[in-house]
Amino acid sequence: MSKYAQPEEYGLADLLCCAASREVADHEIVFVGTGLPMVAIMLAQKTHAPSLKLIFEAGTLDGRPPELPTSVGDARCEMGASRSSGLSDAFGVAQRGLVDLGFLGGAEVDLFGNVNTTCIGDYLNPELRLTGSGGNPDINSFAGRTVFIMVHEKRRFVENVSYITSPGWRVKKWPGGAFVHRRELYGSAFRGGPSAVISTAGVFRFDEESGRMYLDTCHPGKSPAEIRDLCQFDLDISRVAGETAVPTREELRIIHDVLDPDEIFIPKVKSR
Amino acid sequence: MSDSKRISLQQAAEVIKHGSSLTFSGFTIWRRPFALVYELIRQQRRGLHLIEVNGGPQTEFLVGAGCVDIWESCWVGHELYGKYGANVSRKVGNKEIIVEDYSHAEMLFRFAAAAQGAAYAVTQTSLGTDIHNPDYDMLGKAGKRDGKRIAKHKYVFAEDPFFDAGAQVMVPAAKVDVSVLCVQQVGEEGTVRVNGQYYSDPEVARAADITIAIAEEIVPEEYLRRNADQNTIPSFEVDYILECPFGAHPTGMFGRYDVDGYFLKDFYGMTRTQEGFDDFAKEWIFGHDHMSYLEKLGWPRMLKMKANSAMNYSPRDKKGGN
Repeated sequence: MSKYAQPEEYGLADLLCCAASREVADHEIVFVGTGLPMVAIMLAQKTHAPSLKLIFEAGTLDGRPPELPTSVGDARCEMGASRSSGLSDAFGVAQRGLVDLGFLGGAEVDLFGNVNTTCIGDYLNPELRLTGSGGNPDINSFAGRTVFIMVHEKRRFVENVSYITSPGWRVKKWPGGAFVHRRELYGSAFRGGPSAVISTAGVFRFDEESGRMYLDTCHPGKSPAEIRDLCQFDLDISRVAGETAVPTREELRIIHDVLDPDEIFIPKVKSR
Repeated sequence: MSDSKRISLQQAAEVIKHGSSLTFSGFTIWRRPFALVYELIRQQRRGLHLIEVNGGPQTEFLVGAGCVDIWESCWVGHELYGKYGANVSRKVGNKEIIVEDYSHAEMLFRFAAAAQGAAYAVTQTSLGTDIHNPDYDMLGKAGKRDGKRIAKHKYVFAEDPFFDAGAQVMVPAAKVDVSVLCVQQVGEEGTVRVNGQYYSDPEVARAADITIAIAEEIVPEEYLRRNADQNTIPSFEVDYILECPFGAHPTGMFGRYDVDGYFLKDFYGMTRTQEGFDDFAKEWIFGHDHMSYLEKLGWPRMLKMKANSAMNYSPRDKKGGN
């Protein structure tokens, strides 16, 4: 029997979670937010990256939660942690440049990886006000690389986001607002930027010089042209490396039997 | 002097005046001083300026009830129990409140600056984002930047003059009238012991001119002073204390009780309209005091949320948490 699951054994959320988990290398210091990213990172911790160091924004350093927290303020975060304290430590560690990878989400993303979690439509007359930035721009400003996990809809992969909440590879230089490469603005704090967007359609990466997004892998059943049509900008599909690796049966077992048996973040597929 | 700092919930709410600036302990859906938030709503406080490191259900209740004119922060929602702040969203859409956006780290650094008596903090976070769009200085647009309690500028850019590290952003100290903490223990003289993550509680308490500590229990001061290294906030930074068990409900408290997810889900569901919020407030806030609120919740529900004393949280028995 193959170690990889068959299509009927996993859902899109499983695929996203496993793809995100594979972005982490062992021993890395990873800053993680609430939701699916939390499952992904704990999956990595229980598979190929047992020595990764988890930081939760509310103030947990090197956490090893025995069960899935429902938010980063949760008492579950700090059980078994190296230190539990507060935001000053979490953001201090990040600004100091100790964080290798951040896992984040967003409502909209543009060609350069700028992400919006603030509002849909004109900021001054919003169609819909969203949560606001939270720590998204902070983690993204300070980490060596950032991985975004997003639902893929054409209205979310846009030419220009309604509001740049979190900085991509080409950002606005104020007061004028002209787009410049992130490196120009961040000076000594430049450590990298968004390294991947994992959507429900595929995995996207960035050309660090041009700052432009390209399609890296397609999720099973999706073609590059189909995915390009799901973006409002002209997506580069000339560098596609193949198909996104599907979850292994062992990964699915850990997700559903160990990490999230109550389906708080990831629903089970019935046939499993 | 043992009783000198004790006040009632009603008196605590009266410390906060119409137009006061206000901040809280906790983080998103954890350790928010709900008993007092409800009392402020009952007393129909108006014109509040909320300055929060991050928002949460407490923001949504106060904004929904019409208590807030200005909300200065970075995030509002109910974590997995409600994906955004529907009251803030509706009222900012209708221009009934002013929202000033910073990043989360900027808010933390602003409180840390105020706590240190510094005029501003300097950082390199969020450069190139619309947080620094000069057209989006909402307090400036509203003519509120008087340079007294509200800073003359939302932010100012500078170049690092010391190490040539490049662009820096200076953000003003968060000067705030009152902070309200919700914690596990406070001593009779005001010493606070927080168990678990203390979030940004030390910064907000020191930043505020007046601090009120609402605790699950008031304990003998001497008990806390036996292990001073375990205490979070010194006595003299706390002006008023009160004991209020389950005072953070529906938010959670490390080691004591979990978040009441069902309550937050119901609340979020009803806040899509003002009428829905008003109905919820009528059922749970008006005509109640803290004890009748707990009575309405009922022991079985509270016991289900009660934390296991070895694990510090309540083991789950249902999908969606407790």
